[in-house]
Amino acid sequence: MGSRLTVARRELAGLRAEKTILLAVGIQLFIAAFSSFLVVGLVSMYDPGALDGAEVEVAAAGDAVADLERAAAEVPGASIRRYEDPPAARTAFDRGAADAVVIATHDDRGGIAVAATVPDATVETTVVVVQLRSLLRSYERTERAERAGALTERPLPLPERTGSSPYFAFTYTVLIPVLVFLPVFISGSLVVDSITEEVDQGTLELLRVAPVTIGEIVDGKALAAVAIAPGQALVWLLLLEYNGTPVANVATILLLMTALTTLVVGVAAGIAALTPDRRAAQFLYSIAVLVLFGGATAMAGGPTNAVARLAIDSADPATNATVVVYVGLAAAAYLGVRRFIAANGIDR
Amino acid sequence: MIRRLRRTLRVARWEAARASGGIDRRTLLVGFVLLAAAGGVVGAGVATGTAGLDVDRDVYRVGVDAESPYADAVEADPALTPVARERATLGETVDLVVRGQALEGEDADGAAAGRVVVDATDTPKGDAAAAAFREAVEAHNGRLMAAEPNETAAFPVTVTLRYASRTGDTAGGRPAASRDPNDAETGDGGSGDEGTDAGGDDASEGGGADAGSGDDGDANSTDDSDGFAVPSLGGETFGAGSTGSPAAITPPFPFASLVLAFAFLVPMNFLAQAYGSSVLDERTNRRGEPLLVTPLSPAEIVAGKTLPYVAAAVVVTSLIALVVGGGLASVVAVTPLAVAFLAATFVGAVFARSFKELTFVTVAVSVLLTSFAFVPAIFTNVTPVALISPLTLVVFDLQGESVSLGETLFATGPTAIAAVLLFGLGLGVYREEDLFTQKPVTRKTLDALAVRLSAVGEGVRESPPAGLAARLPKRARGLAAVAVLTACTIPFVFVAELLAVAVLFALPVTISIPILLVAIALVEEVAKSLHLYAGFERGVFARTDRVAVAVGLASGLGFFLAEKATAAAQAVGLTELYVGRAAFGAAAGAGGLSPLVLAGLVLAPLALHGTTATISAVGARRSRTAYAATLAAATLVHAAYNLGVVRLYG
Repeated sequence: MGSRLTVARRELAGLRAEKTILLAVGIQLFIAAFSSFLVVGLVSMYDPGALDGAEVEVAAAGDAVADLERAAAEVPGASIRRYEDPPAARTAFDRGAADAVVIATHDDRGGIAVAATVPDATVETTVVVVQLRSLLRSYERTERAERAGALTERPLPLPERTGSSPYFAFTYTVLIPVLVFLPVFISGSLVVDSITEEVDQGTLELLRVAPVTIGEIVDGKALAAVAIAPGQALVWLLLLEYNGTPVANVATILLLMTALTTLVVGVAAGIAALTPDRRAAQFLYSIAVLVLFGGATAMAGGPTNAVARLAIDSADPATNATVVVYVGLAAAAYLGVRRFIAANGIDR
Repeated sequence: MIRRLRRTLRVARWEAARASGGIDRRTLLVGFVLLAAAGGVVGAGVATGTAGLDVDRDVYRVGVDAESPYADAVEADPALTPVARERATLGETVDLVVRGQALEGEDADGAAAGRVVVDATDTPKGDAAAAAFREAVEAHNGRLMAAEPNETAAFPVTVTLRYASRTGDTAGGRPAASRDPNDAETGDGGSGDEGTDAGGDDASEGGGADAGSGDDGDANSTDDSDGFAVPSLGGETFGAGSTGSPAAITPPFPFASLVLAFAFLVPMNFLAQAYGSSVLDERTNRRGEPLLVTPLSPAEIVAGKTLPYVAAAVVVTSLIALVVGGGLASVVAVTPLAVAFLAATFVGAVFARSFKELTFVTVAVSVLLTSFAFVPAIFTNVTPVALISPLTLVVFDLQGESVSLGETLFATGPTAIAAVLLFGLGLGVYREEDLFTQKPVTRKTLDALAVRLSAVGEGVRESPPAGLAARLPKRARGLAAVAVLTACTIPFVFVAELLAVAVLFALPVTISIPILLVAIALVEEVAKSLHLYAGFERGVFARTDRVAVAVGLASGLGFFLAEKATAAAQAVGLTELYVGRAAFGAAAGAGGLSPLVLAGLVLAPLALHGTTATISAVGARRSRTAYAATLAAATLVHAAYNLGVVRLYG
């Protein structure tokens, strides 16, 4: 055990000397801040209802406008002003008195044709279109209810509107998994670098002369790489907690991410042992990680989804069982790789 | 010239041979097999319905009776998990309980009067679950209605959405509707509707009311609840203008084009990784030394080493363009971006001490450049400022619109210049004494900056001047170098400020504006003084206050001139884009002022930049701590000035 710890300590000392771990945390901070920006920005652009205060003024005309007015009454964020005829409504739009023009007319099939005009290519366009859609959907519902007799099945009544931020779901389903898994990839990449570098600089030969086995060297390197991962994730989760985003099941999440780090580190060590050329090894590692996580994310109960459900406190026994499966898988994969390396050595 | 080119090409051939030896056929084959296997597994999963890219699968638990009509709606939404009512305890096993319909007055006027009562936990999660449930019911209703035989009763409202500019042609933004390929199909020769005669002069023709839209069903299916309010990838959401049921309306968001544009960025990361390895490879075990003792200049070596990767980037980009349907414009737009990736990786590889450090640097470079390229492109159809990213051109190209030469230059120029400057920075330390030594990245940075300076003051070592610098008088030489180097930081200053704006965007305005003012001031002050510190530390400048004041003023002047030059260039670029909206507005505002005030307005920034750069320079000549202190002071002065300007205009 002592020799493994010595190798691990040497690895960590190298990282500390280069202060690269600070860079890693910096990158993660940047990604977190940036994805928040993206989402808040997108949400405010594409779902202005989420941010209060967007009020869209619609100039309406046409022979079916009375029902539209009734529908508008129950939609927050959009108000209707009636005009005599379509040109008058259009003039109001051109003057800037209205944000959009809606001309609603009965068509010959008993339906209603709505011609909507919105300003082109400005930031407000998206806001206007989104509010208009919510208004017209409400209109569609009332019109549909009036024609309910002709339907074989009635639409289900909708529950009340609630004020909810779409940012909430994003935080748990995207942001937290990304922050939790980023250290995993970095740790794997570190192991690839560490092993290929020893081979490249010839220091692996020196290590072999020391009273350690090749298995212990790999153990030590893996130990160092796995050890730095949960700390980074924990910092993120605590930061989110401090920011008012409660994260449930922190211990289980850390267990899952440690298991995945072990798995990825094992894969990385295997690749590095087989192809000690750094370029080839990093290339294969990137592809393997892409494949592993791309595939796992697409599966039901994949690690990303498991973390999201654990963090949002919607975990069921199946989720916990998944975590146990990942722990077993990681242990088996790592031990397998270690045995392989111990038997075959590191390829030159 | 020809000889230099031939030498460069020789290095390039050698590098290409080496690189293809590094990643051999076996590696490529293994990689390919891995990808194919993953593709097969995921494809099979998607085909059998066990897989899907729903990141929000089962995040909310909903208590609902199995017989309730809402059970189907809950079942169909991936984000919701149904839980049987008898096992449902609000707040513990479920976040939401559907309590059945309160059916008062159902007989009177149908289903609309019926109401469903929902109990949600009193937490943000409960609210989010309720919103998701509402969306699930809406989607469920859409599916129910799509199956109805009576189409008019199911979808009584048919909407035609058109985009029009308010004041006719003069505002001249990009007409959103006219560039939409779908719109061209639906515009079946103006059906003489109310809308068309009302706006005879508008820029966006072609949205005649197409009343007989038989595609209501599939239009509706695009409206499935998407997890986090980012618009979903609907089949026809390329741009704007649509006809169908209200649910089918989508804001102008080029989602599909954006996803395809992202495909151009993915190979860049692999290329940058391989390139970084190759450069660092030269540096380990002094492997690159034989190359340095040949008559080849460092610039030729680096150009030769870079060339194969640029060529590979162009080839890969062309292939991707062929596959996703882009044209020459896409390749032209992505190439500078590829060079920027390589340039940033080159600097990282020349500075890094080990492969481990390089990995972190490469990840940082990828993240920064990808977000720089991708984020502005999201706003492609919204604001002309999106054109600062070359990727915006790709999105335009994929949408099938032409891009003017001015726009192309505006989008690719800054990126290309930044890439060239980065190569210049790295080349400074591409020499024997730096290449094979292990120094922290910060000290390497100072070295690289100091290389570009020349001596100021008495009693410092001087290197013989070369090229253009030799023609300048000795006194001016050092100061000119300072000013030029400061001017070169401008592209990076802009990018850093842009990122600061983007990152702080999420905070409330009361917090973000002060932080932003300080952050921008700090970025500019660092840009103006870091190389001065490098000059003093590396003994290029004499450590006297006189020299400090001189180089400080020179740096301030350089920054001021470069800032004004780019402002002028931007005004030219933006006038073309905005058609006089923003830029002319500003010019008109300044027109009424007296020449004296105008001169004051122009020269005030010059005084500011000179003063603050001198403050930092005085500290930089003493020590690192003194530099940090004076830098902070200069930042505060600058921020106070910025605040004053904001107050004045705001």
